[in-house]
Amino acid sequence: MTVGPVIRDEATAEFFDGTAAGQLLLRCCPAAHYSEPAAAQCTTCGVTELHWAPAAGGAALVSWAVTDAKAAAGEQSKRTVLVIAELDEGPWWWSQLDGADADDLAVGLRLRVTFRRPSDEYEAVPVFVLAGS
Amino acid sequence: MIAGLGMTRLGKVYGPSSAQFAADAVRLAAADAGLRLAEVDGLLTSSGVTGGISVDLQRDLGLTDLRLLSHLQAYGSTAGAMIQFASLAVMSGTASVVACVFADSPLRPERGASAIYGTRHAPAGWWGLLGASGVIGANPMYALAARRHMLRYGTTSEQLGHIAVAQRAWASMNPAAQLRDPITVADHQASRWIVEPFHLLDCCLVSNGGIAVIVTTAERAAGMAQPPVHVLGWAQSHRGRYLRRDPDFGLRSGAASAGPAAMAMAGILVTDVDVAELYDCYTFTVLLTLEDYGFCAKGEGGPFVASGVLRPGGKLRLNTGGGQLSGYYMWGMTPVSEAVIQVRGQGGARQAEAHEIALVSGNGGVLDHHCTLVLSSDREAS
Repeated sequence: MTVGPVIRDEATAEFFDGTAAGQLLLRCCPAAHYSEPAAAQCTTCGVTELHWAPAAGGAALVSWAVTDAKAAAGEQSKRTVLVIAELDEGPWWWSQLDGADADDLAVGLRLRVTFRRPSDEYEAVPVFVLAGS
Repeated sequence: MIAGLGMTRLGKVYGPSSAQFAADAVRLAAADAGLRLAEVDGLLTSSGVTGGISVDLQRDLGLTDLRLLSHLQAYGSTAGAMIQFASLAVMSGTASVVACVFADSPLRPERGASAIYGTRHAPAGWWGLLGASGVIGANPMYALAARRHMLRYGTTSEQLGHIAVAQRAWASMNPAAQLRDPITVADHQASRWIVEPFHLLDCCLVSNGGIAVIVTTAERAAGMAQPPVHVLGWAQSHRGRYLRRDPDFGLRSGAASAGPAAMAMAGILVTDVDVAELYDCYTFTVLLTLEDYGFCAKGEGGPFVASGVLRPGGKLRLNTGGGQLSGYYMWGMTPVSEAVIQVRGQGGARQAEAHEIALVSGNGGVLDHHCTLVLSSDREAS
């Protein structure tokens, strides 16, 4: 289970400041509606006055898929569980689920956000683990 | 109405650029209609994953004094959208003979399909983040959609396999199809995983080539070369929920609203459809579209496709050229081209006996863009 390299750009700079500090930042409007971090306007009421607000980190499993990366010579192939998770604030997030067996999954399973980096030169990426792990 | 159809050689055809395929397809479509190229006074262009096509195609074709020219992009729904816009243009007198073309050339002799469709985003910003998270390209996104349908309705991989098997049987009768050897559900199950729950045989081909159609009025087409293919109905639906919270994700697509709207415009019911040519980037896309169009009830797509209804000789004539799974992948032009062939009655060994009404779907993004067309051999649905 590994995340890939990603670098920041202007639009994602604050978001990656958040992941570096262990926070998944969402966009929040004055009426306290949460939108996904890439949103330019509130997905509920359409206003553009948005501020960053950290997600609490809890989520529920919506769907999953499993990739089986081709193994290099002499290595074991890497099965990666990809998920859609519903953050407790409402928005959905697409990432990996670390440390879970694909055969033991069910809709609504409680998950928790954590962060991984492939190396120090790249940004920290949100991933999920089972809640309580 | 659609008066001309031009198809270049499709598949592993190396050498021509996308723009050259597009120009060839327009020339072939004009010739097919019995027109001189100079009679084309409108041109709508679209491109695939490799781009390379623009309004510059006008110059490549030596077309002068066009009355309509635009480049369109709504992903897999573009072909249907072009035909809709062209129909509106000829109905309003904006132009009289409009060529609509798609071409792409992603295949290179030295590299595989995943190298083209999997790595087009630089690892920066929001797109880079999605890829870094492991969600790379369309395969995992559609797999997540299909899993959701499986979890909600009990749909199985074997049921999806019946779609692949039936379409391969149709492809075996299509000389233009890239894959023509029959397969079984067991073959489908044994094919390697791409992204679970998708096996290799759930996923479409990648093809080089170009396809164009000529849209004109019935009056203008009266003296042309081909049997008429009237465009009786159309509708689009663009859900706008990609990478957003979407309770309908994988359960319901834009086909559920655009399909009934297009059929109402045409004055038909789903039971009137003789031939269905449905966008099939994955087997699952077919299953979802069948439900959304009302060929079966919501959630019953799995048992429906597994009942044998899709096989040649079955009750439903669906993706009769093999579709994108086994025929050729020209985005929305794959279902459009086969529908034109069928409505004309030019399908050879795979020709449907009844072919008055064809229903055509286009799907783009991750179930985010949709276009439906109703095509008919008659000017009005009878």
